[in-house]
Amino acid sequence: MNVGVDVGGTFTDAVLLENNLVRATAKVPTRRDLLVSVLEAIDVVLKGVDVKELDRVVFSTTMITNLIAERKFEDVALLLIPGPGLAHESYNFGTKVHILSGAIDYRGREIIQLNDQEIESALMDLSRQGYSRVCVVGKFSPRNTTQEKRVAAIIEKKLPGCKVDLGSMLGGQLNFPRRVVTTHLTSATREPYHHFLNSIRQALAVRKINADVFILKADGGTMPLENAEELPIETVFSGPAASTLGVQALIPPGETAVVVDIGGTTTDLALILSGQPLLSSRGAKVENQLTQVRTLAVKSVPVGGDSSLERAGDGFIIGTGRQGPAYCMGGPAPTPSDALRVLGMTELGDLHRAEEAMTALGQVLNLSARETAGTVMEMVATKITSEINSMFLDWEQEPAYLVWEVLQKKKVRPGLVAGVGGGASGFITRIASELNCDPFIPPHAPVANAIGAAVAKPTIQLSLRADTEQRYYIIQEDGFQGKLGDKHFSEKEALLLAKEKLLARAVKYGLDLDPEEIETTHREVFNMIRDWTTTGRLIDITVQTPRGITGRILQGVE
Amino acid sequence: MKKQEGKQTGLIFFPAFDWAISPTHPEREERLLYTRDQIFEEGIMDLPQIHEFTASLATVHDIARTHFCVPRVEDQTTEAHLIAAGAAILLAGRIVTGQIKNGFALVRPPGHHAMRVVHGNRGFCNINNEAIMVEYLRSRYGVKRVAIIDTDVHHGDGTQNIFWHDPDVLFISFHQDGRTIYPGTGFTHELGGPRAFARTINIPLQPGTSDENLLYVVDNLILPILADFKPDFIVNSAGQDNHFTDPLGSMRISAQGYAKLTEKLGPDLAVLEGGYAIETALPYVNMAIILALAGLDYTNVREPDYWPERFKESPDRSLQVRKLVDQILHYWQLRDQMPPDSRSIRGQFYERNKRIFYDTDYIEEEQLERLKLCDHCPGYLAIDSRANHGIAKSGKVKCLSVPFKACAKCRSEAAEAYHQAKKMGSHQYVYLQDKSSDIFLGYSAGSGKEWQSGG
Repeated sequence: MNVGVDVGGTFTDAVLLENNLVRATAKVPTRRDLLVSVLEAIDVVLKGVDVKELDRVVFSTTMITNLIAERKFEDVALLLIPGPGLAHESYNFGTKVHILSGAIDYRGREIIQLNDQEIESALMDLSRQGYSRVCVVGKFSPRNTTQEKRVAAIIEKKLPGCKVDLGSMLGGQLNFPRRVVTTHLTSATREPYHHFLNSIRQALAVRKINADVFILKADGGTMPLENAEELPIETVFSGPAASTLGVQALIPPGETAVVVDIGGTTTDLALILSGQPLLSSRGAKVENQLTQVRTLAVKSVPVGGDSSLERAGDGFIIGTGRQGPAYCMGGPAPTPSDALRVLGMTELGDLHRAEEAMTALGQVLNLSARETAGTVMEMVATKITSEINSMFLDWEQEPAYLVWEVLQKKKVRPGLVAGVGGGASGFITRIASELNCDPFIPPHAPVANAIGAAVAKPTIQLSLRADTEQRYYIIQEDGFQGKLGDKHFSEKEALLLAKEKLLARAVKYGLDLDPEEIETTHREVFNMIRDWTTTGRLIDITVQTPRGITGRILQGVE
Repeated sequence: MKKQEGKQTGLIFFPAFDWAISPTHPEREERLLYTRDQIFEEGIMDLPQIHEFTASLATVHDIARTHFCVPRVEDQTTEAHLIAAGAAILLAGRIVTGQIKNGFALVRPPGHHAMRVVHGNRGFCNINNEAIMVEYLRSRYGVKRVAIIDTDVHHGDGTQNIFWHDPDVLFISFHQDGRTIYPGTGFTHELGGPRAFARTINIPLQPGTSDENLLYVVDNLILPILADFKPDFIVNSAGQDNHFTDPLGSMRISAQGYAKLTEKLGPDLAVLEGGYAIETALPYVNMAIILALAGLDYTNVREPDYWPERFKESPDRSLQVRKLVDQILHYWQLRDQMPPDSRSIRGQFYERNKRIFYDTDYIEEEQLERLKLCDHCPGYLAIDSRANHGIAKSGKVKCLSVPFKACAKCRSEAAEAYHQAKKMGSHQYVYLQDKSSDIFLGYSAGSGKEWQSGG
């Protein structure tokens, strides 16, 4: 039996799954003290269940997203080693930055040396200003970690007790500014995230739950609670990931679908292409900061059931904020939810008040409550539809760097529009008809996110880069650098080595991984030719545990 | 084009990591690998000033509008060629419609050695990306005057050949002196056809020329000519083999030099040409060009082995450059005033014989090019071409090209010549390329089949 818990901004949802059947669901308001809400939801779904029968509990949470949005994290100083390239003045990350001399090039060669004196004086400055967390991030550090590590060693000597994070350990992809942001946010959220995880541990301990506990990541995979401490930033946007996986588990296999989660003031969109959630080709954007965090391609549109509505000229505009609940639910102003209520597309809220709201809104334009509601409905649907179309367009226009990639580009359109989240699902029919698709409100739609958490599987990946001319290889995920004994190291050997390293990593994550199941997601081999002869090979290989969900949800029984 | 402030620089990066001329050829998969690493690591694609587009394929007609590919376009191009040309076309379209402020097609394979008639690959090029893009702009958007500045270390002889008789396209190429490097042309007296005199400008520079003298040429020769010509669209054939580490060239230009050059020229669209110092030059030069186009600070882009003292120019060399600039400025003053050389005139036609060597494919081509001297338009071109492929059978083709601004008489004369050649059966293939109506006709004497494409 598995439990999925989604801790959202407004509600905390939970489900209990047994053999791909939904045994119980819960929806409770999210309280200030998350521990209370989590316990409340868990208690509902575990009623009459022997906790010893639980195999896994998976949490998805907006915790990290909120921490970052509210800047409830610690001050971190950044020691950057950018070397030549973009002007250093452009490296502004909203926190203390010291630029250090030094540089590594694209092949991982040291081209400018560190300056010890400069490092020491930077550290003196940081100690004067009382920093106890420092990130050291170099350009091309994933190709050669030695400069970052040397700076870390000096910090350990000069500022004992100071916590240090290295870019090469946390942002292994090629993108220096994103590496800086990823490292910074990781360092800054470690402490508060640790407290959050502890309250989850406590909640489970109180209920004597000994099952394996996982946290959902932005890419739709899970990681064990213990490992989440190392990489809190990977759990941003696990909310949208949860509802996407939920839909994946609830629709027929192989379907191409749009997931539309209409909330209070935002609507989250995600794509499922031929049964697989679409991953973003670039990392997550967190509060306008670009990171290297692998994430599903999700888009947040600032319109929802509780968005404020105003008249402007001879039409209406949808505001981005929320003044309160819908008027029909006792709120202060007209909202799209009131329009739904007037049109009879929801039973929630007071019909009389909804009519009152729509009448007031349309009065100056001489529109009846129904006419106003129809116009509002149309506006919301059009807005969301155009965002969906642009998501497909963006996906089609992803840059391609190989001839065959350009040739196989094709136009794909969805067959289904799946509405989840419960609120304002009345819009789904309308959006589907604009997109020429079938509308689909899956069973258990209001708790689809908790279902998504419950069916999520652990994923880990590993990227290996070998430079046979320089006879070394490096593992992107942890910056491990190894020597190659032989310059004839082949692609086949590289693949074997990558798989071996992935298996070792799986053990660390407590995963039982069948080597046969390992997927190769990226494979790039370049022969290096210097003066007409082959001097070496550059091999880049990424392997991962299979993506997917534990199972498809069968006919639900409550 | 007028520069619109606040707009983005469009970038298409198409390294064709799965395409090579041959495994060890300079034009191989690895060429833009380190450039990719550098621009990705710098986060260039994330900058708000940059918009990355994905390439799409040019159509067969886009190629046929510019080239006579023998026997057909499909035989001279791979998909990689169509993507590279398509990238230039896509960005150019976005620029003239005002969606982006300028662009850089950072693509392979290159094109500036590809001439009007294409029998094979020469100088690593099959089709001319810039020329195809320019003809597309003129055909689709009616762009009137175009300037192409070729900054590759090798003379852009293909582009020169295509626009030789075209008064509305100004072609300026600086390059290492042709006596010291492929393709051995690009001397100051190569100034264009009788109806486009001084619309071709060649600036051969001594091996070893560095930033200082190059920028002198830009400031005192290229920019004044551009100011006189007033182009509606400026193209930069951005070869990067003038770099001080290039294995094929012997010049001493730095990444900073390239950035300043780009900033001064202010091209609407730059298209990558050569550049084979794949580790020591390309990552830095490409960065420098992108930043300069986007109006960003490029002063911190520096090669590891660059130090300014190394690149001081001697007074002798500087004097030589000044003399060269004065001489070419004098030619420019004579534009539109030079009557055609009477020895080259046969009746109503201006004639020239050409021999063209295809180094990559080892083909020798002989051409008789005839320009109709028309009083009402730039005149149509009739080209007889024969290619010797070594032991392979050689054949003759006839190519008729009608310019955009052709008069009715020239159009019908060229069409008549096409039908005559078809009837005579004296040529293996006969082609009619009418730019004024955007129609291309091809005919194979062997099969008796005719084909057609249109825009």
